[in-house]
Amino acid sequence: MLSRTAQYLYWISRYMERAETNARLLDVGYRMSLFPNPNGYNNEWESVLAAAGAIEGYKIKYNIIEQKKVEDYLFFDEDNPSSVFNCILNARNNALVVRTSFTPESWLAINKTYQEILKLKNNNFYASDLPNLTEWTIEQVNLFRGSLSSLLRNDGYNFLYLGLFVERADNSARLLDVKYFVLLPKPQYIGGNIDNMQWSILLRSLSSFNAFRWAYDGNVTSTKIADFLVLNSDCPRSLSFCIQNIVKHLTNLTCSPEKVSKIYNTLKDLNIKIQEEKIESIVDFGLHEFVTQFINKISSVDSDIQKEFFN
Amino acid sequence: MYQSESVIRNHYNNINEWLEKMTAKVINEKNAEAETHFRNIGITFSTNSETARERIIPFDLIPRIFTFSEWSKLEKGVIQRAKALNAFLADIYNQGEIIKANIIPKELIFKKKSYEVAMVGYTPPRSIYSPIIGIDLVRTNHNEYFVLEDNCRTPSGVSYMLENREIMMRMFPDLFHTNRVTPIDDYPTRLLQTLMSLAPVKCSTSEPVCVLLTPGPLNSAYYEHSFLSDQMGIEMVESTDLFVEGEFLYMKTVDGPKKVDVVYRRIDDDFLDPLCFNPNSVIGIPGIMDVYRTGGVNICSAPGAGIADDKAIYIYVPEMIKFYLGEQPILENVQTWSCDIDDDLNYVLDNLSDLVVKEVDGSGGYGMLIGPKSSKSLIEEFRRKLSTNPRGYIAQPLLDLSFSPTLIKNQVEGRRVDLRPFCLMGENAQLSSGGLTRVAMNEGSFVVNSSQGGGVKDTWVLAE
Repeated sequence: MLSRTAQYLYWISRYMERAETNARLLDVGYRMSLFPNPNGYNNEWESVLAAAGAIEGYKIKYNIIEQKKVEDYLFFDEDNPSSVFNCILNARNNALVVRTSFTPESWLAINKTYQEILKLKNNNFYASDLPNLTEWTIEQVNLFRGSLSSLLRNDGYNFLYLGLFVERADNSARLLDVKYFVLLPKPQYIGGNIDNMQWSILLRSLSSFNAFRWAYDGNVTSTKIADFLVLNSDCPRSLSFCIQNIVKHLTNLTCSPEKVSKIYNTLKDLNIKIQEEKIESIVDFGLHEFVTQFINKISSVDSDIQKEFFN
Repeated sequence: MYQSESVIRNHYNNINEWLEKMTAKVINEKNAEAETHFRNIGITFSTNSETARERIIPFDLIPRIFTFSEWSKLEKGVIQRAKALNAFLADIYNQGEIIKANIIPKELIFKKKSYEVAMVGYTPPRSIYSPIIGIDLVRTNHNEYFVLEDNCRTPSGVSYMLENREIMMRMFPDLFHTNRVTPIDDYPTRLLQTLMSLAPVKCSTSEPVCVLLTPGPLNSAYYEHSFLSDQMGIEMVESTDLFVEGEFLYMKTVDGPKKVDVVYRRIDDDFLDPLCFNPNSVIGIPGIMDVYRTGGVNICSAPGAGIADDKAIYIYVPEMIKFYLGEQPILENVQTWSCDIDDDLNYVLDNLSDLVVKEVDGSGGYGMLIGPKSSKSLIEEFRRKLSTNPRGYIAQPLLDLSFSPTLIKNQVEGRRVDLRPFCLMGENAQLSSGGLTRVAMNEGSFVVNSSQGGGVKDTWVLAE
């Protein structure tokens, strides 16, 4: 497989994953804007922008934070490199180059998504359309992921999934970091209605709201949520799940065994640690510190993959 | 389709019945279905001026039909021509017999930009310079075909030929039950066999590694590049994926370097090798020409093959056929006046308003004058151009191109068409069992180029 092909496949699934994360964040903001709080209504939009890593770019363009502008910025704006539109555009442009390396269905899934978002972008949209837009985005991303199931299980397949899980690991860790500390200055705050609502933001943005309830009995505690999102390997967005899948798809690569083992060696410790660790000791150590280390590790794995395989 | 005013040619009877049964509603639905399909698979092209991101080529539902005997004659004629063009290239880059025999003036060849000095003295495998030749044909009256143009570099359009057939089979399966249409879907296999049969001298394996070299996604034929490489199961590479080391060419893979034997290039000569051709080119593979000339890789088509489809050389193709093959040309040229000959130039200047004038190096239907359809001022502009640079132009009569029935706003109307079949030259010489029919969608128009409002049709060759 051409190095460039591997690189493009890797980025296609990163972009598709990112599109979904952004759509989910918008959905969370939309939902929160419907609930009253003591000061009138919630203004979740600033924290949505922060979680999407888009707040600086947004502030260059707009002075005030308001729903319509945030929606436009995160969904359609071509000035925002991570807008859903740009993610789909980039995924589609990459797919155009490597369409011969995956199935016609995968190409169709991406290209149809692109054709439709072009139409959506040209229509005027209203704030009340947002739930439809996010639902549509999640559907399209699922269509793409579903199409991957008929791929040959070759290196291309593994590069696609490496991209997906590197992106997801990064997104989950950042959301956890931003939200956990915004939401939870002190552990004992948990329990009030507002806190519960705030928790649901974090879980919803990781598409794990219902799943959490099924996975844990009893009261919602910050420790349980941290356990769910960091260590629970049943949860498809947890850090543990992501790292295990990165290891799996990395070691499934048949090309260049020496490069694979070189990258694997840098990941091995984290992979073992995350499977053996207890959440209490992570919290004692400092969740923020743990997540920061995790993000740095993922970012170095990402640059190793790019350096070893794509150059 | 029509023999004269209203007599339908026999082989169109089936289609005519089919058309009469279709309601306007069905036609609209099918048109929309075809358009959606083409957009979804991404068979789009970009044009020079459009602001739109991508456009699709209009597709006409009514196929163009050739009988077996009509096609057999075309087939022989095109293959004959393709052989002569390759023989011509081998000759002018070696002994130059045709020049010594005073058949073609040497200035016409050696002064052309498309004549590639780097090719002198080197003969590619099987002496084939141009393995894929697209010949543009027009019919003027009953069963008389003329060659309008040869394309020896990297003729495009074959993906339309294949996709047009796919969409027709998908939308109208019944048509293919009632008409015996020769399949064309083996073209990519034949193309790959052709490329593999042209392995370079130093290739030791029986299964040479072929790649398709594309300029990238901004190229207007990019869809075709990815389509063909997918159908052939070979890598589509850009020049940055390739590099020269020692005597060979390699591509960069996740496994490390992999040797490449045959490059089916879809980029121009100028961008092949910055060390040899255009030193300012940012695309290109430094050193590939050295590897090529020493038999480490084959480049298809060969650099410098473009001289054979130069419009000034075109005039001499019938002579080439006689000279190299000792045969009479089966297909005729369109009568052509070469403006660098004084008598011809005078005739052209006297009759500008009746003639079509083309730039020798032009393509895509740009930079031409269609005398009978043009304003006085445009004609005068060409008069000045011709007087200052006569060598840059040729002139031809305005051909009364044949009409093919075409759906325009749900009505069947006649529109002018041409045809580009694709000839493969490798171990065997063979012609695709069909081709690309281009149709001038605008009423009264003679220009079939997709960049100027041309559309396409499925092209049928009926089985014997």
